[in-house]
Amino acid sequence: MAKSDDCVHILQGLLVFGNVVIGMCGIALTAECIYFVSNPHDLSPLLKTTEDSDFNAAAWIGIFVGLALFALSILGIIGVIKASRTLLLVYIILMLITFAFEMASCITAATHQDSLTPDVFLKQMLERYQKSEPANNSDNEFTKTWDELMLQNHCCGVLGPSDWQEYTSAFRLTHSDADYPWPRTCCVLDAQGLPVNLDGCKLGVSGYYNSNGCYDAISGPVNTHAWGVAWFGFAILCWTFCVLLGTMFYWSGIDY
Amino acid sequence: RPRHPGGRTMLLPLLLLLLPAAHGTVQLPYRPDLTEKPKLEGLRTASTFVLDQPRCVFKDYGNADIWLVVALDQAISNFSNTAGPGTPETAFQRFPDPVRAYMTLNATLANYPCPKPDGEITVLRVGSETSCAEDVSRPTCNGPLPGPGPYRVKFLALEGSVPVAETAWSVPIMLRTAKSPSSIPTVGSGHSAGMIAITTILSILFAVLLAGLVAMLCFWSSDSCSGSSTFSKPESVSVRRYNTHHVYDQPAARL
Repeated sequence: MAKSDDCVHILQGLLVFGNVVIGMCGIALTAECIYFVSNPHDLSPLLKTTEDSDFNAAAWIGIFVGLALFALSILGIIGVIKASRTLLLVYIILMLITFAFEMASCITAATHQDSLTPDVFLKQMLERYQKSEPANNSDNEFTKTWDELMLQNHCCGVLGPSDWQEYTSAFRLTHSDADYPWPRTCCVLDAQGLPVNLDGCKLGVSGYYNSNGCYDAISGPVNTHAWGVAWFGFAILCWTFCVLLGTMFYWSGIDY
Repeated sequence: RPRHPGGRTMLLPLLLLLLPAAHGTVQLPYRPDLTEKPKLEGLRTASTFVLDQPRCVFKDYGNADIWLVVALDQAISNFSNTAGPGTPETAFQRFPDPVRAYMTLNATLANYPCPKPDGEITVLRVGSETSCAEDVSRPTCNGPLPGPGPYRVKFLALEGSVPVAETAWSVPIMLRTAKSPSSIPTVGSGHSAGMIAITTILSILFAVLLAGLVAMLCFWSSDSCSGSSTFSKPESVSVRRYNTHHVYDQPAARL
């Protein structure tokens, strides 16, 4: 019957199209994850002690999953065109394994994004910023990163300058509260790097100090990365699910 | 002599009236207060606080030295206006024990011109001098306060060593107490809706796919075991159709 032939053709066409899209998405995922792995955002010293390794793992898995998706999509196209049961069975099983890995990667990236609450950064900053006897080089890096962050984004602390007032900190151990209610980097600085009005900064007169917190500046790039890996991967998996269902249906109808 | 007894009784109240004036201290209606305008982030820190300058308060006392008295809340009744500034009894370095109130921030009326020009920030930061905090040779140091308080302040005008005017005591001022950073909770605060959605949906999809795979495999093994009618010898490279009758009718439709 012509109708069922057409149906078969349409199904094959759809499956080939689906696999082409999967292949392209696989390449895109690989490229994106290579970008994230090789080009970590400048705030990595801040995140080093947090669960950044999780995010790195998610990105590495993403690279290999992307390549696997590309290879498997080619296998799928060949299998659909040849209508070979063996090829398609291998395709489905390997795709399921890839699906499982990508699922793990997505969930890890999404969980990682959740774990970076302001409190995590606040605690780290209070404990490590301007630590007087830095245990290792990473504390110096940490202080430098925070200073650059505060200078570039005109922000102070994680939630605001009151962070330095509400909590004791390593900074407070070496800098008296009367002279340094908050670090000098929180002041509005002139071209030479000196506060425009030191008394105004110490009093907290608006215009002479940075009153907003840096959490937005930190969470922005981190969220972009996490969204890139987690949600893009989720979209790919949804599409893959449809293609796999179609392939299973096609497979069950192939004559042997 | 009716006037004599009247005069005597008049003299007594007059003397009584003159007595406080002789001991001098005029009670001004002003109450020192924390600065409300402009809004200051550092209004109260752990060791400093910011007061408004007493502008237009000591107008009649151009010759007096205006001192700020900072006292512990419970010690204000013990403070005597005759205590001299710069003495060990009012030295900052011995505050809060044994000295319970100290005097600092010496100024004259010239420092507090009246009226206050608009747009200028006229404040007194109590606790800003850290260099003399330990220096006993500077008993009138405006050093950082040693604890969270509460403290009360007033302004006292002295001519020479004679108190001539004073303001009311301020309301009790509490400073900030800093908590330890280990009190910040960093254990996972729960999962966002997005993460739960991803996990649930992906798990369901994966389960469906696994079920499909299992169904396929059962289907296949039942096929090969029972030798159903769809089974036929595989050909090497050709597109198979579900209905082979029309293969030769529609050659052009082959892939």
